[in-house]
Amino acid sequence: MTVIARGWERLTLPGKLVFTLVPVLLALTIGLVAVIVLFGQPILDVLAGNLEIVRFVVAVTIVLLMTIPTAFLIIYMEMKIIAQMNLRIGPDRVGPAGSLLSVVHGLKVLMKEDFTPTGADPLVFTWAPVVVYLASVMTLLVIPFAPGLYGQQFNLGLLYFFALAGLSVVGLLMAGWASYNKYSLLGGLRAAAQVVSYEIPLTLSVVGLILLAGTMNLYTIVENQAGWFTDWYVFQQPLGVLIFFIAATAEANRTPFDLTEADSEIVAGFATEYSGMRFGFFFFAEYVNVFIISALTVTLFFGGWNAPFPWPEAWRLSLDVDPGSLGLGLLFMIGLVPLVLTIVFSLPFYLASSRIKAWQALIAGFVLANLFLGTVIFAWGYIGLDWVAGVLWFMGKTYVFVFTFVWMRGTLPRVRIDQLMDFAWKWLLPASLLNLFVTAAAIIVVKS
Amino acid sequence: MTTTTDRPSLDDPRVQLDRDLGVFEPIPPYPTRTEREAEFYTLRDGEMLINMGPQHPSTHGVLRVVLKLDGEKVVDLDPVLGYLHRGVEKLCENADYHQAICYLDPLEYVSSLFCEWPGVMAFEKLMDVQVPRRAEYIRVLSGELNRIASHSLFLGWMALDLGGLTPILWSFIERDEIVDMLSALTGQRMLFNYFRIGGVNGDLNHEFLSRLGDWMSHATEQIESGQALLNENEIFVRRMRGLGTMDSATALRMVMTGPNLRATGVPFDVRRAHPYSVYPELDFDIPTRSEGDCLARYLLRMDEVKQSLRIIDQCLHEMPDGPVMAKLPRLLRPRPGRAYAGVEGPRGQYAAYVVSDGTDQPFRMRIHDPSFIHLQSVGVMVPDHLIADAMAVMASLDPIMGGVDK
Repeated sequence: MTVIARGWERLTLPGKLVFTLVPVLLALTIGLVAVIVLFGQPILDVLAGNLEIVRFVVAVTIVLLMTIPTAFLIIYMEMKIIAQMNLRIGPDRVGPAGSLLSVVHGLKVLMKEDFTPTGADPLVFTWAPVVVYLASVMTLLVIPFAPGLYGQQFNLGLLYFFALAGLSVVGLLMAGWASYNKYSLLGGLRAAAQVVSYEIPLTLSVVGLILLAGTMNLYTIVENQAGWFTDWYVFQQPLGVLIFFIAATAEANRTPFDLTEADSEIVAGFATEYSGMRFGFFFFAEYVNVFIISALTVTLFFGGWNAPFPWPEAWRLSLDVDPGSLGLGLLFMIGLVPLVLTIVFSLPFYLASSRIKAWQALIAGFVLANLFLGTVIFAWGYIGLDWVAGVLWFMGKTYVFVFTFVWMRGTLPRVRIDQLMDFAWKWLLPASLLNLFVTAAAIIVVKS
Repeated sequence: MTTTTDRPSLDDPRVQLDRDLGVFEPIPPYPTRTEREAEFYTLRDGEMLINMGPQHPSTHGVLRVVLKLDGEKVVDLDPVLGYLHRGVEKLCENADYHQAICYLDPLEYVSSLFCEWPGVMAFEKLMDVQVPRRAEYIRVLSGELNRIASHSLFLGWMALDLGGLTPILWSFIERDEIVDMLSALTGQRMLFNYFRIGGVNGDLNHEFLSRLGDWMSHATEQIESGQALLNENEIFVRRMRGLGTMDSATALRMVMTGPNLRATGVPFDVRRAHPYSVYPELDFDIPTRSEGDCLARYLLRMDEVKQSLRIIDQCLHEMPDGPVMAKLPRLLRPRPGRAYAGVEGPRGQYAAYVVSDGTDQPFRMRIHDPSFIHLQSVGVMVPDHLIADAMAVMASLDPIMGGVDK
């Protein structure tokens, strides 16, 4: 007994944690396996019976996980592109061309001290980033990425989007109030005024589109835009897309409307007192917002997953190959093709010069074979599978808009709060109403 | 010095508060000393005090301004100075005349030459030293280069305070080129310490001249392309136009000088009004503007850059041969007396007033810095504007806190 106690005393805190956790985890795993073995079939039946719920849970999980690489990618894009615009080099130390720097940023934020300032309301202070983060992330759920690839599809998709996007202002206001800091308070109030004002032109600018499409289901809206790129709603709603983009920029608190975190005026606005991962959540939410706003612009006005030209049916490859029918041949293919390709691709290197050693040639051949296989599989998927092509077009278009946001950040100064309000109420609101009336009149004229 | 309020001060160690004071309660930094302070720190309904600085991203150093806000509107403000006070005047009085010059440099860390210049000129007047003409030309040449460097940094700061990220890095290109060539000439990038009593520290060298020639060949296009990003930017122009307007009478009453005064329409330039050095022989214009707003102050500085380029061109063409230092005794002991000298710097009139008691150290040294003078006009320009405008107005005055706090 004393031997065990002495050993226990010698362990550091992580060691003690591991020694406690490992048996617990083992027991849980064994229990899980036992439950699956004993009650596997009934559980499967229950899941199959509630497929909608299962689908929802899986979609939410995937969407939550998707935000992390998206935010990392956009942060890296912003660092690198603005650096080029500023005639700097930008990140170039961590990873190839500095591409892992945003991951390191994420880890840094994770490891920082997470403090609550004296006088802050700890509960509201803690929950504010969660509200902001969830409000922006959950909007991803209704965005259709490709044919058949969406989180949820329901009739009020667009309304759901605006409702959740408006919810983020609650989080910003919570952060501004709970921080017990005057700069935060100003930032929170600015956020409230700004987001509430721009919500109106943002919503009104798409009403014309809703009239045209006859639905608020984002999936159907994208399907309506299939065909040539002239079928995209941007050509029927040019004013609408302009208003939508401007109002969405303000909604996402991006330059030139980033008054809520104007560093030269109110330090960091609502995020002044935040540190560690709570700040990280704000940071993530901001960049995820950029992605979402771009994705929604593409979904509504730029044809979503549709290619700018219709893909001829004759070029479509049938992928109805049943892997099972290949039998052992499939195994041989999986095992041999990479090997053979590697050797084939490395031969020219080996034969070209006696200075290239065999292992060097093999490495080059391996890389080339992988590239070749990847290209072939991708081309096959692109031609044969709808959703591969859809995701490609959707992401391509979305990142064009993400680039536009970054470009604006690098170029434009910030507007003033009264100019911001004037612009929303005196220009954007009448313009969006005009857009709505003209669209409605045009629909009546065309239909009668 | 009377205490006009009974409120306790957090800074007073004798005061024991029976409860913690919150950040939303107005507490003066010390028992109020004047009527003005007492009025300022008494809040009406809906007003809030906010501390901007000394560690704020856009106060250009360690300026602290207490803003009295009503929502987003600035009702009143109270600049609190002294966070960068080093006692430069006293340091100068404890050094001999040569050593005093190097204390003048860090006053104005963006355009150091213009702080050395009045000091050196005042010492020369005190000692009746005749500066060689070549040295005067070199002073004018390096000074105008420094003026361009300072103005291009102003452009970047101005944009940065309005939220633009790029212009500051673009304007650093030309500032860097100029600073590099000045470091080839003087040996330092920032605090040049180049002017000496009776001349300058070294003659023009090959590296300086080749860098200058390279730069002059593309300077005009480079400066204009840097400005185009702001001049043609609708957001920038709309924010700056009509902001912080100052009429010429108020500007004169506030003792403003330099670009800030000329932007109100008063064509006062020390280089023409009280000519010094070789400026009477050079051909250049005094740009003025009548609007007196932030945009005018910005555009006027950009016009000045063009005039500086003209002056540099003339200096290079008319540079005479000869020595760059006057013959002076090693130990300088001027007669008892007093001397004053002022120069036109990128921010206004820099001046030095020296009293000598016949020893080898100045008996009294008074330094006049335009940043300090201009900062008082913030109190006239900013109230009734928004918080964002307060930053823009302060940036458009282009204060350097090293000079303000001395």
